[in-house]
Amino acid sequence: MPWAQRMSTLTPSQNLVGDLALRHLDAAYNLGRWLLGNDADASDAVHDAFVRATRAADTYAGGNARAWWLAIVRNCCLARLAMRRRERADVAIDQVEGAKGRDAVDALLSGGDADDAERALETAQRRALFARHVAGLPIEFREVLLLREIEEFSYREIADLLQLPIGTVMSRLSRARALLQAALGAATREEVKHGL
Amino acid sequence: MDCKAARELVPLYFDGELDRATARELEAHLDDCAECRDALVALDALRRALREDAPRHAAPRELRAQVEAELGQHRRRTPRRVPRPWLALAASTALAFLAGGGAVLLWQQQAAPPIAHDLFESHWRALAAASPVDVVSTDRHTVKPWFAGKLADAPLVQDFAEQGFALVGGRLDYAGSERVAVLVYRHGQHLIDVFVLPASVGAAPSASLRDGYALDPVSLGGRPAAMVSDMDATERARFGALLAAAR
Repeated sequence: MPWAQRMSTLTPSQNLVGDLALRHLDAAYNLGRWLLGNDADASDAVHDAFVRATRAADTYAGGNARAWWLAIVRNCCLARLAMRRRERADVAIDQVEGAKGRDAVDALLSGGDADDAERALETAQRRALFARHVAGLPIEFREVLLLREIEEFSYREIADLLQLPIGTVMSRLSRARALLQAALGAATREEVKHGL
Repeated sequence: MDCKAARELVPLYFDGELDRATARELEAHLDDCAECRDALVALDALRRALREDAPRHAAPRELRAQVEAELGQHRRRTPRRVPRPWLALAASTALAFLAGGGAVLLWQQQAAPPIAHDLFESHWRALAAASPVDVVSTDRHTVKPWFAGKLADAPLVQDFAEQGFALVGGRLDYAGSERVAVLVYRHGQHLIDVFVLPASVGAAPSASLRDGYALDPVSLGGRPAAMVSDMDATERARFGALLAAAR
């Protein structure tokens, strides 16, 4: 593969970008996984981003390097999402999540006493439900929320990363939080009603 | 400040985006207004849920292996002798030179004293290693004697699990040619290194930022120390205060 051959003569800036990508590979993958909703697409998008970042290494103009890298990851995710829409390949957002949640519940239920199992079940259910609510947010709200709460970027950094005015970042963040709080509030009321 | 104005500002305050004067005004309002306090608490609960309950997806091993292979990075297993930040520093020097006088201030911010480089390097090396600690323990009574066997002056070791900063363990590293004790804490998904600086290291490094990681000079119960982490400013300040009060 020509790419692999070219890698043997990395420029210093490509080496730096490669290190950067590796150091923030988990963050990149987590962002991709939340934006795309499944493992295969997230892996592909992060790999696309890595290739693109090393090629564009010389265009990096300073500033927050992690934000620069995650912006590339995010753009590759959106490209993949657009491609998926064109192919009409409908992958249910929470398909994998649901299965994982059940596995976790089964694993936790297999040992320990009844109280432990009950508590573990509650935690697993709460987490699965929460993940579903986050995954259910419209993508433009979801990405702002993740960049702020998980990646801890400032408003300015998010605005630069997403190429949006800072006011739009603030209103999307506020909307995302309100939507999620409302969803969680509704879920809690539902539990109370059913005496859980 | 009335409630309507305050409510607009609460998220900005929570995200650390308010200037000091406005933050003080808002705090005065929060002292008197339970409803606005509730709004702040709700934001905190949501953040906590996102950080603790939403799954954090780690990169699959195959993806990491693929990226490493393409970078030809088998060298990563043995730490390189030329630390990465020196390359970054060389680049920023070139940049400052090209950009002329206006960039000198930027250059000075980037060119932290050598000890800061060692501490950032140590933190990154630990993050890349299989385990960030040499002695794993959540019990300070294990960590302290472990250091006592290796350093003339064992550091103060305290667990802050109840405050959300759990002791993970300790390790030894070098700052310049000095052996330093490193206390490792975990806060949510963040790993925090606290470097206990021996007097021979000289002046404590000043606060600096690099690639989203922050170095802050702190006091560990009166002894000079430095903390490296990727937490946000509010959490760093909170942990700094806990360390200062360690007994």
